[in-house]
Amino acid sequence: MAKFAKTILLGAAGALAMTAAASAEPVELNVWTIDRQADPGYVYVMADEFQKLHPDIKINIKRVEFADWANDMMRAVATGTTPDIGYVDNPNMQFLSSKGALLDITPYLAESKIVDTSKIYPGPLSTITWDGKIYGLPRGSNTLALYYNADMFKAAGLDPDKPPQTWQELYETAKKLTDPAKNVYGLAFSANGNEEGTFQFLPWAQSAGADYDNIAADGAVKALELWQKIIDEKIASPDTLIRGQYDSMATFNAQNAAMGISGPWELPRMSKDAKFDFRVATLPVWNLGDKPASALGEGNNAIFAKTQHPKEAFMFLEYLYSQMPRVWNEFGFVPSYPVEVKDPKWPAAYAIFVESMQNARARGPSPDWAKISTPISTAIQQALTHKTDAKTALTEAQAKIDAVIKK
Amino acid sequence: MKRYVLLAIALCFLAIYLFPLYWMYLTAFKPSSETFTYPPKFWPDDPQFNFAKVFVEKKMDTYLWNSLLIATGTTALAAFFGTGCAYALARVRNVWMDIVLFLILMMQVLPPSLMATPIFVLFNQIGLITTPRFAVVLAQTAKVLPLYIVLCRTSFMQIPKELEEAARVDGASRIAAFFRIIVPLARNGILVTSVLIFLQSFGEYVYSRTMISQEELQTATVGLMNFMGPNTTDWNGIMTYAVIYVTPIVLVFMLLQRKIVSGLTAGALK
Amino acid sequence: MSALLRSVRDGRGFDGVLALLALAYLFVFSAFPLIYNIAMSFQEVDMFSLASLIRPFVGLANYQTLFSNPDFWPIMWNTTVFVALCITFQLAIGFGLALFFQQDFVGASYLRGLFLAAWIIPALVAGAIWKWIFAGDFGVLNYLLISSGLINEKIFWLSTPALSLYSVVLANIWLGIPFNMILLSVGLAGIPKDMYEAAALDGAGAWKRFFYMTLPMMRSTIGAVLSLGIIFTLQQFDLFASLTQGGPANSSNVAQYWSWQLSFQNYDIATGSAVSVLMLGFVIVVAFLYVRSTRQEHQA
Repeated sequence: MAKFAKTILLGAAGALAMTAAASAEPVELNVWTIDRQADPGYVYVMADEFQKLHPDIKINIKRVEFADWANDMMRAVATGTTPDIGYVDNPNMQFLSSKGALLDITPYLAESKIVDTSKIYPGPLSTITWDGKIYGLPRGSNTLALYYNADMFKAAGLDPDKPPQTWQELYETAKKLTDPAKNVYGLAFSANGNEEGTFQFLPWAQSAGADYDNIAADGAVKALELWQKIIDEKIASPDTLIRGQYDSMATFNAQNAAMGISGPWELPRMSKDAKFDFRVATLPVWNLGDKPASALGEGNNAIFAKTQHPKEAFMFLEYLYSQMPRVWNEFGFVPSYPVEVKDPKWPAAYAIFVESMQNARARGPSPDWAKISTPISTAIQQALTHKTDAKTALTEAQAKIDAVIKK
Repeated sequence: MKRYVLLAIALCFLAIYLFPLYWMYLTAFKPSSETFTYPPKFWPDDPQFNFAKVFVEKKMDTYLWNSLLIATGTTALAAFFGTGCAYALARVRNVWMDIVLFLILMMQVLPPSLMATPIFVLFNQIGLITTPRFAVVLAQTAKVLPLYIVLCRTSFMQIPKELEEAARVDGASRIAAFFRIIVPLARNGILVTSVLIFLQSFGEYVYSRTMISQEELQTATVGLMNFMGPNTTDWNGIMTYAVIYVTPIVLVFMLLQRKIVSGLTAGALK
Repeated sequence: MSALLRSVRDGRGFDGVLALLALAYLFVFSAFPLIYNIAMSFQEVDMFSLASLIRPFVGLANYQTLFSNPDFWPIMWNTTVFVALCITFQLAIGFGLALFFQQDFVGASYLRGLFLAAWIIPALVAGAIWKWIFAGDFGVLNYLLISSGLINEKIFWLSTPALSLYSVVLANIWLGIPFNMILLSVGLAGIPKDMYEAAALDGAGAWKRFFYMTLPMMRSTIGAVLSLGIIFTLQQFDLFASLTQGGPANSSNVAQYWSWQLSFQNYDIATGSAVSVLMLGFVIVVAFLYVRSTRQEHQA
């Protein structure tokens, strides 16, 4: 009897709580993203679905230009006008976490039935962690691989099933494929004077045993000298120095470059624009059998410390995280924890990128990544324009980086 | 005969000068895949007509309306604060006016990209961010006001002092003389300047992007950037957007321009 | 009190009020951000203290950091070259076109109006178009030069360190011509025609008339166009963002873009502000010269 009464009471309380929730003001979550609505943008799609599941939560999305992200984020943090949730590029994650701009979600994770952070790959996991606490969840990952035009391989008498496996082979193959008369370069990549240049250079240096904290090592010098050679001999376009990855790969799609180094985000556009047999291979190494290296890209969804609705924001984060099995097919991200992707689009490319993810290293992670990355991209540009030689440029970069790390 | 030679030369100048503009129109008609072909195509093989589609899909009516509001507001505000100041600077000559002119010019140096953050901090403190379009008008007016004043000042300089003095002898007050004699005489200069200010403000980007967060209040330039950005492929769409945005203004301006400069040559002055 | 009121309504105070009204507006909306920048250049600034004026004072430390940066002098030199070249050519071409279109022929004023199209193209679109024109591999400029036999090999306008700055200069001259031309046209229209006729009767040649009549009569217009032109050139930001981003290896970087890079790419707001304060110094000189030049027009 008592038990019965208790059930009734609980039920009534539950019903009351529900009506209370229904009549309450809908919670509004402000979300910043770099996605474009038409792409189809990841957050736009997810927010629509989430709002259908939770009619009491309204999501307002503001798009921020990727180039203006740091600018807008700093202003928002300074004036207390941060959104509830925002996209944070992974190398910036520790910068914001260490300054207290992001919400520590460790307590919420302890009670979450959806998220198990121990499953996240070490690369992305290291970017969301600061001082032993978790400050965000990856929305997906990406990394670099080698794209090549199999038709051009065949035309040049190369075996399209044997893409170059060492950087030296890559150089030689690219040289063979270069044909100025037809406006074809052997290779397309980006040596832009910003984060993109660093992102592209690190795997070349890392696979030779160097890294951002050891950037003047012989391996990195060797890598940069090979870049010099590629640019000097016009195996890649001189415009590589001022072009981002996406613009560089457009020349691959237009068959003005026979190979290209870029990430999975290229695939949707490539399958539309590239009228040839394109294939993907893992990035080369220096000597066969070496441990490969690849850079970790993409970003995290993070909740800002100033949010008024941490509970609802975390629910949205959980929802985003739970949709990981879809991100490859719909948005071109590589899943950040092991999931089964049913019927992956571009299956061969998918296999290569999932394999590359095992070796994907986060940039840093460091709360001062911007001050580490700038000297590296500066050194790259100095060397490629022959203002200094590779060794001197990287030694200067190392000195600046040491000043940041060892302070 | 000479007149036709001149016309031919003028057309040559124009052809060279407007080549980038031609390229914009051309890209609006080319399929996106032809944007980067080499050798480049100077005429579209397969012309695209996406104007209606882009206009509707990109909600250009809303964006253009917002741009129009901001440009009109800015021009009105600049004319209100600037006309009198330009007149005073043209008429009175002493150390104080020198200082005023100096300060006005000096304050306009940093590009909006560098001014935006401090202005945002200020506007956020005083609550102006809640009326974002008005906030953009205020910031943009500050940006164009020196331009307005310096340009208008040159047209006030050309009005003979004697005209105003004659009106004063007839018993008109300074205010009456200003509105009845001076402003009508300088109207061409004021008009040219206002049109220039209007056009500049119509293309305002940095302040709108910084201060307006609701999409429905956003301007056409920001709407353009939202589907432009660094990682875009739809160049046809972008240039179609740009063409829709630019063409009406070019036409209006061509007509207005003729009036303005011929009005000036006809000599309301002197 | 009533004397003051009367002076405002009907005396010298009238001019003062008109001038101060605009100045007050600018003090609120322009001086504040400038003072803010100046303050930051003497302080230690991070993301959280960005919004408050009270921050640790570090004296000239930010300037020392700036001066010891090996890129500092090259970038300042680039800025000077950029401004000097842009202004010279904009003014010369703008003046030439203004004189040309002043002549009487069919459609002169319509065609002049078309030049203004460049003034209204959104900066972002102008940047994108110029980037395609200059592109080394598929750019239409290389195509035209090669097919007309002027060059044999593609020129990489934007990625060759010796050329990149001049490519941006070229694009910026293009943007600045309409402004120069239309203002100089208005100035020319203000010169009474009978003066020319009288001079022609006296046997003065076209060059003589230009140097001894047109130029002196246009002094105030040229002064205004020059000073505004310098300020606009210093404000040019979008072209750098879309064409070269200051690269390669800072060969086309200028103060205004560098300041932004320091502040918002390196998170080094204090040093970025120091750069903008130096720009302010430059403009003070320009503004001073302009004010001096307006002195003479009153004496004339």
